Amino acid sequence: MIQNPKPQKFIVPIGPQHPALKEPGHFEFTVDGEIVTSVAIRLGYVHRGIEKAAEERNYVQDLYLLERVCGICSHIHATAYALGVEKLAGITVPPRAQAIRELVAELERVHSHLLWLGVAAHEAGFDTLFMYSWRDRETVMDILERLSGNRVNYSANVLGGVKFNVDAAQADAIRRGMDFLEERTHHYYNIVTAEETFLRRTRGVGTMSADQAEALGTLGPTARASGVQRDLRIDSPYAAYTEFPVQIVTASAGDLEARFVVHVNELFESYRVIRVILDNFPPGEIEVRMPRRIPEGETISRVEAPRGELFYFIKSNGTDQPERIKIRTPSLSNWASVSATAPGHKLADMPMILVGIDPCFSCSDRSVSILPHDRQSKLWTWEDLRQYGIEYYR
Amino acid sequence: MKIGAMFGDVFQSMFKRPATERYPFERRPAPENLRGELFFDAAKCVGCALCVKECPSEALELITIDKAAKRFVIRYHVDRCTFCAQCVQNCRFKCLSLSNEKWELASGKKDPFTIYYGRDEDIEFLLAKAARRNLETPSED
Repeated sequence: MIQNPKPQKFIVPIGPQHPALKEPGHFEFTVDGEIVTSVAIRLGYVHRGIEKAAEERNYVQDLYLLERVCGICSHIHATAYALGVEKLAGITVPPRAQAIRELVAELERVHSHLLWLGVAAHEAGFDTLFMYSWRDRETVMDILERLSGNRVNYSANVLGGVKFNVDAAQADAIRRGMDFLEERTHHYYNIVTAEETFLRRTRGVGTMSADQAEALGTLGPTARASGVQRDLRIDSPYAAYTEFPVQIVTASAGDLEARFVVHVNELFESYRVIRVILDNFPPGEIEVRMPRRIPEGETISRVEAPRGELFYFIKSNGTDQPERIKIRTPSLSNWASVSATAPGHKLADMPMILVGIDPCFSCSDRSVSILPHDRQSKLWTWEDLRQYGIEYYR
Repeated sequence: MKIGAMFGDVFQSMFKRPATERYPFERRPAPENLRGELFFDAAKCVGCALCVKECPSEALELITIDKAAKRFVIRYHVDRCTFCAQCVQNCRFKCLSLSNEKWELASGKKDPFTIYYGRDEDIEFLLAKAARRNLETPSED
């Protein structure tokens, strides 16, 4: 038997065809026995070049292209973009249209959080919760389909307003759906905070302190579960969030259980605000005319997606096509928390820690530039890039 | 702390109908504003082409037969369409609408994905022209 003179590190590669998650990502877990000592994450398997493609389409076509950045939070991407372009064009959208935008955004948050609840339960091996929460999620999917005409890409926005109005019959259907979901969500809250087998997978796993969450730049429910008071719907209200405000939902523990508590409590908050909007719908138009050419200028537009702050930078050069659109999605910011919290946990906890940030891989696959320590950024021309490519493969 | 918090749900479900639907056998009616296949009413069209200009997936082509007589044919590529309803939104003469009945659009062949809307004689004229061109220059294309 050959004795190994010094212990070597053992790396467990997982992905890109990930057995647990439904999107591609590559992870290398360095393990010492069962305990993970470090994590390396590699993304970029579904990079689609959407930002570049957006430069070659006009503003209206981009609305639908950008809605497809994410398959789960489609509406919020289109909203962020539409708000930015409307700001550039100097157009005020009627209050009823803004209220419908907020209504659809909150319905989307409900479907996204229920989806996450199911996926996270599935990763913990609790498939019963997965099946039932997804069955109930159909309620909100049906509502969205009835409102907009599509289950996933609602296309609720147009530049200058929204496409559809909400009538009394639809409002009643939404209220009934919210009543049913609220009752079910109470049930799920009791399960995720009391079920012994489940708490063993979540309590004290992936704990992140508030300082750590700030330093790692986490966003959304991931940050709020660590006690960071950050929610753009409150900090910088957009659409109709000034008329129909939401309350911030936080927890202090910072572990996976706290993230479940934050997600589920945000569901209750969404149900409440949806009812408030339905009861106090502002009357009036739902669309204003938008010019085809957008005046020269640049703007940023920030909204709170279900996963955290979504950031859009739009630069216009006075034509009907944008010069540059930069998207920063919340999933991208949350990845650092995985590699920071994973060491010290068992390999079997990794799926739960990964899914704990509610990752969206297609959202994450944005181009990132990592500045060196001297923080010198460098602009590459097309020719530089070409030369670099030739040298790289030589 | 308890164990088996969902046993109640599982037990109750044993006496309920399945949550899933027997889809191809039983069809639930689609919601009224479901966005399915596009319909174009050629009689109302004035040929402004706003639907074509802002289609995000370039699924529409407007072919002018006779501009003065307002005779237009629309070639609609169903396979490219993303059913976003931007064309319906753009049309000032309400020529376009999305069907809430035609949404089962899968097909094994390519032909059903190109639909012509317009006057019958105009469509025939277009198709005959296309067929003639194919016969004359088979190497092209």
